[in-house]
Amino acid sequence: MVELKNVCVTYESTGVEALSDVNLKVDDGEFAFAIGRSGAGKSTLIKLLLKELDANSGEVLVNGYNLTKMKKRKVPEFRRTIGVVFQDYRLIETMTVYENIAFVLRVIDAPMKLIRKRVPYVISLVGLQDKADSYPSELSGGEQQRCALARALVNDPALLIADEPTGNVDPELAYELIELLQGINACGTTILMVTHAHEMVRHFGGRIINISQGEVVFDEVIGGAEVEAE
Amino acid sequence: MKLSSFRYLVGQGFDNVWKNRVMAFASFCVLLVSLLLVGISVLFYININAVIGGIEDKNEVIIYLLDNTSDARIAEIGETLSKMENVSAVTLYSREEAFADLKESMDDYSQVFESLGDDNPLPDAYRIRINDISMMDETVAAAASLKDVEYVSAPDSFVELLTELRSVVAVIAIAIIGALLIVSMVIISNTTRASVFARRREISIMQSVGATKTFIRFPFFVEGMINGFMAGAVATLLTWFTYDSLVEMLGKFDMLSTIGLGSIIPYETIAIPVTLAYILFGSLIGAMGSVFSTRAHLKHKAVNM
Repeated sequence: MVELKNVCVTYESTGVEALSDVNLKVDDGEFAFAIGRSGAGKSTLIKLLLKELDANSGEVLVNGYNLTKMKKRKVPEFRRTIGVVFQDYRLIETMTVYENIAFVLRVIDAPMKLIRKRVPYVISLVGLQDKADSYPSELSGGEQQRCALARALVNDPALLIADEPTGNVDPELAYELIELLQGINACGTTILMVTHAHEMVRHFGGRIINISQGEVVFDEVIGGAEVEAE
Repeated sequence: MKLSSFRYLVGQGFDNVWKNRVMAFASFCVLLVSLLLVGISVLFYININAVIGGIEDKNEVIIYLLDNTSDARIAEIGETLSKMENVSAVTLYSREEAFADLKESMDDYSQVFESLGDDNPLPDAYRIRINDISMMDETVAAAASLKDVEYVSAPDSFVELLTELRSVVAVIAIAIIGALLIVSMVIISNTTRASVFARRREISIMQSVGATKTFIRFPFFVEGMINGFMAGAVATLLTWFTYDSLVEMLGKFDMLSTIGLGSIIPYETIAIPVTLAYILFGSLIGAMGSVFSTRAHLKHKAVNM
């Protein structure tokens, strides 16, 4: 569950108000798209949800953690409850696909038995069985994105945040990726996908949160067909 | 931390040395040069001390006794001298022995000695060697205050010169070693910082998946330790080779002993402490350098990804 209550974020260095009195709630099991133009405040929202920056005012609650009051030493523990897929994949270049994914389980001191079972499973889920021993530099953009998705899923997170996951892949792969995310959502994982690919969002429909100039200007659930009709 | 995680992180440290071999090699070279600079300076200082110590060994104080001192009293004085704290050796130099030596050294003046017949004008004396030349004055005064001692001959100005020389050498050596240590630490710190900075993306990814600071730092610690260990080992070999070559060269010409100085300490006698110092300091500096740089990076870049 994600909840923002009257959240304001202003970057001290530039004085820019990135988020202004934002109120937002994403319930468990929901699939929500956060859309908006560049500079609208989408990236700030993600940084806020990952506790990479703090709100100047208001309250941020994620997966039962109150990020506003969270102590620094609790941050790693909190981040383990979230899976994140970044636009630029953020894979460790010196690790293979298998190692990149297993790393998340290593971090939480998972038993070897679980690692040996869980990692091949998520690798097969994203269709990278043949690339398990490849390094990120040996993969295409789509494969790297799928590897990043597998890494985000391996820990069975309650919340999956996808930051422009389709930004660096071709349209066909982008649609496949969102279908994959929908399948994951169907299994109970809450998904918040940040994107500026409005066309694609219109195609799939669902809950759409439109952010503009740091404010939530639209937040409704709409079906794909309805949007087409508009 | 579980044993399996510990093993994994140690393994990661070893793997990282190879995976980041360019930066690892740069750190290794900086550590090696730093260790050699400091190590050689320390060895130089130790040897300078040994060489000066060689001169000190030759220091001798002569205690002349009054004429007609009885044999029993002479023996008593000898015993008192040998019990003195700063005295390392006591040798009786009898008037007969001294007279014979004088005759031998002044062979050209044999006629003068013949005119003296059996009349020996020289007194009995004791030759003593002292441990600490900086305490020379006190020892000489104590010897001179003994009953039946006529006069004490000590190389005062020579002692002062040696004491001064040793102090100057110590100050210069400590200053140089201190400066080298600071320079080395700055260079090592910058190199490890650069190494950590080059992997900032990797670190930020680790943070984003919930890795703790310890989990992130541990492989860097191991990596730094391995680099330091290798630098220490290579520094040992290079020092050994250079030192032995130098000792062989100086030994061949017997330069130092010819001019009355002590000799260089053979490498065999200092091999173990030198090796341990290089390897321990290398490993420690390598590991701590990595840890401090990673810590500084995590502190300043904790929230930036």
